[in-house]
Amino acid sequence: MAIIEEPLALPSGDRPTVSNPLGGLSRPRGATGLKDWLTTVDHKKIGIMYGAAALFFFVIGGIAALGIRTQLAAPDQTLLSGDAYNRVFTMHGTVMVFLAVMPLGAAFANYLLPLQIGARDVAFPRINAFSFWVFLAGGILLNTSWFIGGGANGGWFNYAPNNGVAYSPSTGIDFWNIGLLIAGIGSMTGAVNLITTVLNMRAPGMSWMKMPVFTWMTLVTQFLLLFAIPVLTVAQVLLLLDRGFDANFFNVEQGADPLLWQHLFWIFGHPEVYLMILPAFGIVSETIPVFSRKPIFGYPFMVASGVGIGFMGWGVWAHHMFVSGLGPLSVAAFSAVTMFIAVPTGVKILNWLATMWGGKLLLNTAMLFSIGLVTQFTVGGLSGVMHSVAASDTQQTDTYFIVAHFHYVLFGGALFGFMAGFYFWWPKAFGYKLSEKWGKAHFWTMVAGFNLTFGPMHILGLQGMPRRMQTYSEVQGFGLWNMVATIGSFILGVGSLLILVNAFVSYRAWKRAGRPDVGPDPWDARGIEWMIQSPAPEHNFDVDPVITELDDFWHKKYAEDENGKLVRVATAEELAHPGNGEGVHLPAPSYWPLVLSIGIMIIGYGLIFSLYLCIPGAFIMMTALYGWSLEPADDLDADDHHHGEVEVAHG
Amino acid sequence: MNTSNRRNRWRSGLLLALVAVTAAACAEDKPLNIFEPQGPQADRIHGNTLFILWMATAVFVATFAGAGYIIWKNRVSEEEFNDGEFPEQVHGNPTLEWGWTALPGLILAVVAVVTVPTIFALEEKNDADELDVMVIGQQWWWEYRYDVDGDGFFIDGNGDGVVDELDEGLPLEFSLDPDDVSTAQEMVIPVGQQVDLLITSRDVIHSYWIPRLNGKRDAVPGRIHTWSLEADEAGEYTGWCTEYCGLSHARMRMSVIALPQNDFDAWLANQMLPAAQPDPSDELAIAGKELFGQQCASCHVVDDPDFSYPTILRDSLGDPVLDDTDHEIPTSIFVSPQVAKAAPNLTHFASRSAFGGAIYSQYAELDANDDDLNELGIETYTDLDANYRWNTAQLRRWIANAPSQKDMAPDDRRGMPSFALSDEQLDQLVAYLATLD
Repeated sequence: MAIIEEPLALPSGDRPTVSNPLGGLSRPRGATGLKDWLTTVDHKKIGIMYGAAALFFFVIGGIAALGIRTQLAAPDQTLLSGDAYNRVFTMHGTVMVFLAVMPLGAAFANYLLPLQIGARDVAFPRINAFSFWVFLAGGILLNTSWFIGGGANGGWFNYAPNNGVAYSPSTGIDFWNIGLLIAGIGSMTGAVNLITTVLNMRAPGMSWMKMPVFTWMTLVTQFLLLFAIPVLTVAQVLLLLDRGFDANFFNVEQGADPLLWQHLFWIFGHPEVYLMILPAFGIVSETIPVFSRKPIFGYPFMVASGVGIGFMGWGVWAHHMFVSGLGPLSVAAFSAVTMFIAVPTGVKILNWLATMWGGKLLLNTAMLFSIGLVTQFTVGGLSGVMHSVAASDTQQTDTYFIVAHFHYVLFGGALFGFMAGFYFWWPKAFGYKLSEKWGKAHFWTMVAGFNLTFGPMHILGLQGMPRRMQTYSEVQGFGLWNMVATIGSFILGVGSLLILVNAFVSYRAWKRAGRPDVGPDPWDARGIEWMIQSPAPEHNFDVDPVITELDDFWHKKYAEDENGKLVRVATAEELAHPGNGEGVHLPAPSYWPLVLSIGIMIIGYGLIFSLYLCIPGAFIMMTALYGWSLEPADDLDADDHHHGEVEVAHG
Repeated sequence: MNTSNRRNRWRSGLLLALVAVTAAACAEDKPLNIFEPQGPQADRIHGNTLFILWMATAVFVATFAGAGYIIWKNRVSEEEFNDGEFPEQVHGNPTLEWGWTALPGLILAVVAVVTVPTIFALEEKNDADELDVMVIGQQWWWEYRYDVDGDGFFIDGNGDGVVDELDEGLPLEFSLDPDDVSTAQEMVIPVGQQVDLLITSRDVIHSYWIPRLNGKRDAVPGRIHTWSLEADEAGEYTGWCTEYCGLSHARMRMSVIALPQNDFDAWLANQMLPAAQPDPSDELAIAGKELFGQQCASCHVVDDPDFSYPTILRDSLGDPVLDDTDHEIPTSIFVSPQVAKAAPNLTHFASRSAFGGAIYSQYAELDANDDDLNELGIETYTDLDANYRWNTAQLRRWIANAPSQKDMAPDDRRGMPSFALSDEQLDQLVAYLATLD
């Protein structure tokens, strides 16, 4: 069920013979190495690049975090000046949210979605490449501010009017604003792309209620992105006009109400929280059944609660503003809605536990990280319910109690889920398993470091330590738990790097062993992505899989015998597609997504430094747009694939 | 009127209060701890906090015990996992699932029933004849204005008052009602009386938070947020700005000092007096006063007829916007004849316990090492004359080069600049400031 798009026929009825009208940037054919990565439109390679970029930014954000923790280890430290500290904590939050956790969700979505629904690729492969490159352009632009803008210093939610030129004259805020605006383009195009893919390109027989839970959660995530990012974009464009062109959207002296920014930011910002966690929820909904040897408990409830969270997530934004003077009626209303969003989340936790109940649990690294999410997220969820009690929140908000809360949700929740996903799908992507020995070391150091870092922050918050404090004095009595948290953060830093160590060590061992085939289905798993070879061949499935059940692959492997006992009826090797791409036509690679992103990035620098710089940027952008639209979606002259079946829509 | 008597009386009251504070501070070394409410508002919040904390703890224990049991009981070795045997393939149990959808819903409904009345209770106003204080945040200190005559107007320097506490929507001005009081760093309140606050800001968003007395409320420029405080006992209650407000957010602190009613009345009466004059024999202080007029009075107000304040008023960026004879020029909320260029009013500087955004103590132990006096340590001056002295060393460092003591951006006209003053000039200024009690 793919979108079919035939190339335009000439009036004569012949097919066009010249398909590279712009010779200078001719379509790359049979590219390898760097050129292949720069021009690829393969959703799997793009997914891997998202993952690599996210881990790179995760390291940058992590270094910033260690800077914060070192500064706060003891009272009256002077490692970071007030100005430097403000920039470091702002960049830490911004990089982690927008350039590490969000793209990790995009990495898994890109890699897995087509595989889970049995598609050849995403609906618009070139737009998919563009989504990645423009995200990377925004991320790089934001991070160059370390060197040429001093780093943003407004906090990750960058409240007005402190974000105005009068109070933040350096260009750091401009980098924050433009960088995220540009990265947001990628989120939008990615959302449209993946929604179209799920709606239109599911394998024959895959009805809504036979879709894997990860696919469902990713679909909800993409809808959240589709509606949330524009709200942030509106706020950022207003800020751009304020800062660059003396507009008065947030200028109090001209009658503006600075709470406008807060409303816009959090109308984006709260769905943002859920779109960071839902992909991780999807991942552990895949891993827990596999390593419990049981189907997911209450699939319809899992789907419905995910969709419910997606809807309710729009009605709770003002709980970030309980002390901003909304008035008691608004506070009471948002307080109640915030409480009840705990219901669908609680359903998920209980359903995961019920999946494990009575199962056979294999506690390997992927499963440990999944259990890590279930338990650590529970802690974050409960402190979240505490915040929903608005009166109580007036004591907790903007203290370290909040810092503890959202790290339990985003690190203990989302990142642990993504780590589970790495261990689970690594063999599918790269053809070898990550080491269990290193994996367990990775998990336990992370759990220990994580709880040692963020657990004490609950106490610090209740002792009254406000967040975003460059320093504190002896008399406040915060020294002890800050020191514990700092020690924990270094353990956590080491633990986080072990995923990279593990990847390196496991790859080397695999290479030395002569690259043994890990097989299509190393975990005896359930989804159809395990029905193809590992690593996944470029064309995914040899033929469209036909779906008859939820967890279709598993049901093809196992069936009940006459006594009602489950027995294996086929091996994975028998069922797996051999990986023969004969007759499959793939979308052709292209330079234009990359060139377009570079043009946009140059325009971004122009908006920060000089509008004249926008002219070459706009020229490159327009060239890329024309080149893209003149480049036939189909590479008719390519000889590396047969032209039997045109099966992928073209973006 | 015997002003010196009145001064002595408030001072002894203040010191008495600080004895109580000292005892409290020694007993508990976490001055911002939210679990020690000392006023009815904080107490009410504390009740909610304990309620939800115990609920959350119960759910936490149940979930972790359940998860631990399930994992412990069902874990298997890799061999057993791969032995081809399968546990019962349960796909779900709608009854159970509806149950655990409804049950948390019911629990949370109970939580909501507890929560909502508190939200409204915290908004209740005091009686009309009780004290109202306007709390004005700016980078990086707090100003307090007392509506002493209780006319509900905090403004009306020109006789056309526009803001009363019942009508929050009107545009703000900060020109002072002549019979009101403007002070900084610490808010002095009477014990056992609900003091209503009208919280706002001159520049960016700040948040006012005295954890032992009430939760936070943001100070948003262009808006007045009502909030209240009440202290059950005399003492000092410290707080910290809790909305990130730029460069020196970490050094924007504050405190509330609660005094018995009589002492509070004496304090207030003293605050309403014009600035004290240096003793004619105190040449150092008289020279300091002259220097103050030249160097400091363009930003800091001292209510003394000898100082002529600039006719050109400035907005927060230091740009002249209004001359005080021409009321037709649009006013800005940043304009104030009492706080020209938004620096603390120093008329009664020496009556305060802290300076520099409430981060430095004005007093030090007699034998203290001057190099150690950087931070406000309210252990404090129970017997000023015998054991404590004026914190001259830190005050001199502050006046000479404030940006070296606290991150500020004087070049952007935010914060106090560094002055090239000689040691002799510093001595003169400190001597003059010490007379402003």
